[in-house]
Amino acid sequence: MTEISAAPAAADRPAAGESYHRESRWYPYALIAPTMLTLTVVALVPFLYMGWISLHEARYGQIGAFAGFANFEKLLTDPRFWNSMKVAGLFVAIAVPIEFMLGLIGALVLSQRIKFRSVLIPFLFIPSMMAPIIVGLVWKTMLAGSWGFFSYNILERFGILSGSSVFASPDLALYGLIFVDIWEWTPFMVLTFFAGMQALPANPFWAAQVDGANPVQIFFRLTLPMLAPLLVVIGLIRTIDAFKVYDTIYILTNGGPGITTESPSVLGYKYTFDFWEIGTASALAVVIWLVFFVFCNVFYQIAKRRLNVF
Amino acid sequence: MHKSRANSLIFTTLSVAYAALILFPVFWMWSYAFKSEAEMFARPTVWLFRPTFEHFGYMIENGYHHYLVNSLIVSGASTALVVIIGTPAAYAFARYRDMKFRDDLFLFVLATRMAPPVCLVIPYYLIYAKFDLLDTYLGLVIAYLTFNLSFYVWVLSSFCRDLPLELEEAARVEGYSRAQAFVKVLLPLLRPGITATAVLCFIFAWNEFMYAFLLGGQNVKTLPVGIPSLITTQGVRWGEMAIIGMVGTLPVMVVVFFLQKHIVRGLTMGAVKG
Repeated sequence: MTEISAAPAAADRPAAGESYHRESRWYPYALIAPTMLTLTVVALVPFLYMGWISLHEARYGQIGAFAGFANFEKLLTDPRFWNSMKVAGLFVAIAVPIEFMLGLIGALVLSQRIKFRSVLIPFLFIPSMMAPIIVGLVWKTMLAGSWGFFSYNILERFGILSGSSVFASPDLALYGLIFVDIWEWTPFMVLTFFAGMQALPANPFWAAQVDGANPVQIFFRLTLPMLAPLLVVIGLIRTIDAFKVYDTIYILTNGGPGITTESPSVLGYKYTFDFWEIGTASALAVVIWLVFFVFCNVFYQIAKRRLNVF
Repeated sequence: MHKSRANSLIFTTLSVAYAALILFPVFWMWSYAFKSEAEMFARPTVWLFRPTFEHFGYMIENGYHHYLVNSLIVSGASTALVVIIGTPAAYAFARYRDMKFRDDLFLFVLATRMAPPVCLVIPYYLIYAKFDLLDTYLGLVIAYLTFNLSFYVWVLSSFCRDLPLELEEAARVEGYSRAQAFVKVLLPLLRPGITATAVLCFIFAWNEFMYAFLLGGQNVKTLPVGIPSLITTQGVRWGEMAIIGMVGTLPVMVVVFFLQKHIVRGLTMGAVKG
C-alpha cells in the first residue's frame, strides 16, 4: 500500500506487483512513443525543413544562400497573396454562416417526429464523405456551360447566365464554389447539430415546457446556449477546412478566371509547381501554419474546457 | 392529435425532399457513365436513354483498373499501419490523463492533423526526390500517415474514454499484467471503435487527391488522380470521369450506411459522441 501513497495518481489505482511504480511512470510514454516518433518524422521534420527553406533562396528545387526574411517580404508584398487571403476570407464569411443557419434549421426539422429518419440519415452523409475531387466533378457536370443540368434547366431558364459556365465568369466563379461548399457541408452540419441536440439533457426542456415557454423561446434560451461549445468547435473546424480547400477548386476553376478564386492552397501549389518559387511557397506555408496553430489552440482549449470530451 | 400528425407529414416531406435534392446531382453524374456524348450534351436535357457501355470499354483498354488496384493497396496499407501504430497511443492518451506533458503531446498530434496538405507537399516533394520515393507505394503510404495517424489517435481516444475502468482493474486483480489486460480485455471491447475509425481512415486515404497527384507518377496513380487525366487535349471524357466518380463513391456509400452512428464523432474529431 505504500506504493499507492507514493504514486497518488488516481488513474493508477490498480497496484499489483513490485515493478508497479517504475512501470507506471514509463508505460504510457512507451505506448505513445511509436505515434510520436512517426509524427515527428512524417510531419515535424518536413515542417522544420520547410521553415529552413523559407529562410533561404530557393528556386527550381535548388536551395541557395541564407536569405533572412526576404521570402516573407516578397510574399507579404505580393498582391496575389493578399488576394488569396481575401478569397479565403470571403469564402469562409459567406459559406460558413449559411451552412450554420441551414444546418440549425435542418437539425430542428430532423428532431421533429419524422418517418424513415434512420433511412434518411445515411444519405445526408454522402456529400461530405465522398471525395472532394468527385464533388468537384459532380458540379463540373451539373454546371457545365450550356449543357450542364443546372446550367440549362435553372440558370439559363431563369436568365441568370446563358451559354457559359458559372465557373468561367469572373463575377460568379467564387459564388459557384461557395455554392458547392454549401451543398457539400450543410447536410453534415444538419447531422452534427442533430446529434448535438439529441445529446442534450431532457430535464431543462421539460421544465421550460411546464413553465409555458414557447418553442421559439426554448430554442433561443435553451437549445442554442447549450449547443454553443459545439457550434464554436464546428465553426473552427469549418474555418480551417475552408482555408484547406484545394481539390474542388483545382477541378472546377484552378483559381481562375484570372485569380478570382485563387485560395491560399491553390496559390501555394502554383508558387511551387508552376513558378518553382519554392522559397516563397515555403514562406506562404509557414504563414498558413502559424494561423492554423492559433486556431488549433483555441479549438483544443474550448474542446477540453467546455465540452470536456478529450 | 391531428395537428401533430399533419406536422409529422410536413416535416417528413421536407426531409425527404432535401435528401433527394442532395442526392440528385450525384446520381445524375453517374448517369453520364451510361450515356453517349450526344445524349450528354443534348439541349433540352435527355431523361430517358438506352445505356451504353462504351465508356467502360475505354477504361479497361487504357488500364484504369490499375488505378483502382493502386487505390486499394495504398489506402489499405496506410490504414493497417495507422491501426498498428496508433491504437496504443489512443489508449494511453485516454487512460493516463495525468501523465506529464499529456496536453502538449496531444496538441502536437492535433496540430499535425490541422496542417493544410499544401504546406507539407512542398517539403515532401523535395525530400522524396532526394530519397527516390516519388511515384512509389511506400511514398504515398507515408504521406497519408500525416493526416490519418493523428485523426485515428484523436478519435479512437474518444472511444477509449468510454471503456469501463473496473474491467481493467478486475483483470489486474486476476493477475494480468497491464499489457495483457489491454490486449485480452480492453481490445475486444474496443473493436467496434477501432473498426469505425479505421474505416474512416481508409475512406480519407481513398478520397485523397493532392498527395497522390503530386507525389505519385506513372506507376502509382490512384483513382482520384484518374479524373484530371481524362481532361485531354482532344476534349473532356465526361463518361469516363463519371465512371471514376461512381466507382469512387460506391464504397463510401456502403461505409456511410454501416457506420452512420460513428461518422459524426469522427468528422468532429470526437467533439460529438455518435
